[in-house]
Amino acid sequence: MDLVLNDEQRMIAESAAVFLAENSTSAQVREVAEERGGFDRVLWQQVCEMGWSTVALPEVAGGMGLGLMELVLLSEQMGAHLACVPFFDAVVVPTPLWRHLSESESGLAVVERLAQSSKVCVIGMTVRGALSASARVVVDGGSLVLDGQWPQVGSGAAADVFILPATLPCGSLALLEVPADSEGVSVQALATVDGTRTSANVSAAQVKLAGSAVLVNGDALHSLWAELRSFAAIALAAEQVGVADCALDMAVNYTKERVQFGKAVASFQGLKHKAAQMLVGVEMSRSAVYSAAVAADAGAVGDEFFMLAAQARSEATDAALFATRECIQLHGGVGFTWEFDPHLYFRRAQTLSQRMGTVEQWREAVAVRLLDQPEPQAETAALEAA
Amino acid sequence: MNVQEIEINEAFRAEVREWMNSHLTGRFASLKHASGLGAEGYDAQLAKEWEQELAKGGWTGIGWSAEHGGRAATLAQQVIFHEEYVSCGGPGRIGHIGETLLAPTLMHYGTPEQKARFLPGILAGKDYWAQGYSEPGAGSDLAGIRTRARIDPATGEWVIDGQKVWTSWAHESGWIFVLARCDETVVQAAPGNGARHGGMVLLLVPLHQPGVEVRPIRQITGTSEFNEVFFDGARTEGSLHLGPVGDGWKVAMYLLGCERGASTLGQQAHFRYELNLILELARKNGAARDPLLRQRLAKAALGLQTLRSHALRSSGEGTSQRVASVSKYAWSNWHRDLGELAMEVLGEQGELALSDPELRPLQQLWLVSRADTIYAGTNEIQMNLMAERALGMPR
Ligand SMILES: Cc1cc2nc3c(=O)[nH]c(=O)nc-3n(C[C@H](O)[C@H](O)[C@H](O)COP(=O)(O)OP(=O)(O)OC[C@H]3O[C@@H](n4cnc5c(N)ncnc54)[C@H](O)[C@@H]3O)c2cc1C
Repeated sequence: MDLVLNDEQRMIAESAAVFLAENSTSAQVREVAEERGGFDRVLWQQVCEMGWSTVALPEVAGGMGLGLMELVLLSEQMGAHLACVPFFDAVVVPTPLWRHLSESESGLAVVERLAQSSKVCVIGMTVRGALSASARVVVDGGSLVLDGQWPQVGSGAAADVFILPATLPCGSLALLEVPADSEGVSVQALATVDGTRTSANVSAAQVKLAGSAVLVNGDALHSLWAELRSFAAIALAAEQVGVADCALDMAVNYTKERVQFGKAVASFQGLKHKAAQMLVGVEMSRSAVYSAAVAADAGAVGDEFFMLAAQARSEATDAALFATRECIQLHGGVGFTWEFDPHLYFRRAQTLSQRMGTVEQWREAVAVRLLDQPEPQAETAALEAA
Repeated sequence: MNVQEIEINEAFRAEVREWMNSHLTGRFASLKHASGLGAEGYDAQLAKEWEQELAKGGWTGIGWSAEHGGRAATLAQQVIFHEEYVSCGGPGRIGHIGETLLAPTLMHYGTPEQKARFLPGILAGKDYWAQGYSEPGAGSDLAGIRTRARIDPATGEWVIDGQKVWTSWAHESGWIFVLARCDETVVQAAPGNGARHGGMVLLLVPLHQPGVEVRPIRQITGTSEFNEVFFDGARTEGSLHLGPVGDGWKVAMYLLGCERGASTLGQQAHFRYELNLILELARKNGAARDPLLRQRLAKAALGLQTLRSHALRSSGEGTSQRVASVSKYAWSNWHRDLGELAMEVLGEQGELALSDPELRPLQQLWLVSRADTIYAGTNEIQMNLMAERALGMPR
């Protein structure tokens, strides 16, 4: 397995870093978070125009045909620059769904309509990445009627289209395409503690849909979702690596400038050792994430894929929480101010640690595999129920 | 890696496995999974015979070039070898100081005569080497060594006075490489004279001679694998300095740089074996039902996977020093945590001095792994290095 980035990958990472350094500055992030509800529409438009939202889509679907690794590199930069765009919810998470749909003629049309536009399409999963079966679809004459509630949908306030889970009359779980402006759909934006992301309570009351709104259901959805969770968790972990790396950078730069006792505080060993531990977290989790992405692109599926995702999440969550916490500490009093950036990263790290399942949930699911009788069905259920 | 390479490597893997399975039997069977450090009742003589057996099969120095008697195995093949070696139960190697530290340094700095004289003995599993760096007054601060080296004008030989400590396997070795400070008469001819890192020499010294005394030290494990080594007018030939006289520090550092590399992947295969023992015990004794232990066991398993990912990432070409600099801290702390976890999984039983051959090694693991964050640069030294070299924080 080769874990060294190729030229194209290095270029993607570098150009994203340069672009976001200019277009997602601290001042811009703060303005979007405080004045514009946490969604930078201009930046999102640019992200789509540069093709970042379709990098990992197959070429037949108008994508670049690249892999999870490229999404990982972009996600890392999204985290490092706290970009106020729904890259995770509207690009990373739906990618496996778009890939799945691209395999059929009819599905391809959906992908062309949704994924290639700059529409924000968001799946109505729970914060921890589960699909609730509580919403219901009934058949009324020629159309489907959807009723249900999807609380705290990530990036929900920015969404143009929702992909919502609901139980069909036959009892199988389905994902349905529901435009946000459909009659009967209500979207209640929720202020987030992070501020750089949006969230919303979504509900549907007697929403009428065509039969073609059902994108995937039953066993196909079940297996798609298992893969999608692993896929998304790896990119999410990359975002955490970006957050951790930037927190480390800020802390090191600040301590090199700040003078106490007649010297830069960075010369004190207590601080050096904290910074070194942050570095260990950053580089080990980056290794975990990159190798997971490389393996995924080389075809890892199922249990192997799951273990790689768990590895990425386990390392990156710890690294991001640790680095952002220590970043505040290493800043002293200014670390407690609104004006300095450490709290923005601290908030983002905390929020990310809850998305797609906590480390404790991932580790428990790993423990099931390592320690219990093999019952594959029960395992997925355990994670989804959480 | 292309298909052809994969096929060649799989054939290689099968070859290693078959050889191991047909040779690690009979009288060698008792060595299975024995790791040298902290292994009670370890039969060092048998372990040496095993190394000679390995050598006969062509499995020592496999990465060495044909010129030096190796098989020039690729990095991928070295990884495969180490993995298969451990998973077949191959015992910890006591020849590693010679094979993985001294030999590459000899190849780099040695004279043709030195190479011709020492490499074959290392390769054959006949000559064992100890590392004479640390002293009572110089551990983390290695440059503080005080062992003296001078030249006897009458014979042209080197004469060594001083003391080394924590010297692994000196009691089982025939030779030691000694980092020493040249005395005034020699140092005048040496570069770097007077500087803290200047005026040193790395000497190749026979251990079995009247001027050398080796005293084993009883360790935390109760066993003795490291020693004190006293030099009192010890001698070695005038030509047996490795690299330039006065530049010993540079040579010594080059040697330390050889501690990384493919063998760390072999080490991970051993970690995997230990982790599996602990998982198996947890399943058997009910610890697997404890929710907190489940978390820690899962975290350990994922952490080991990450060590592997990191080793692959940092062995790639063009790896930055920053990426490589975190490895030692990461693996040593992972392993030390594993030792503690082993005791937690043993639970109440862990308070007894166990004699069960399945369980005893887990208690020894708990003790042995304390060494990992001390040797080869302590945790604190590793963190200093990361902060200063990788992050550029001032001294
Ligand atoms: C099992 C084992 C095998 C060994 N085998 C060999 C061998 O074969 N040959 C050999 O030469 N040596 C060997 N060593 C010795 C090893 O290299 C030293 O123990 C190590 O370098 C630390 O030195 P020290 O023991 O003198 O500890 P010290 O340097 O005295 O350290 C004491 C404490 O102070 C801390 N400390 C020291 N300096 C600093 C600093 N600048 N900043 C912050 N903290 C600091 C250390 O981290 C440690 O916590 C072995 C050690 C062990 C445990």
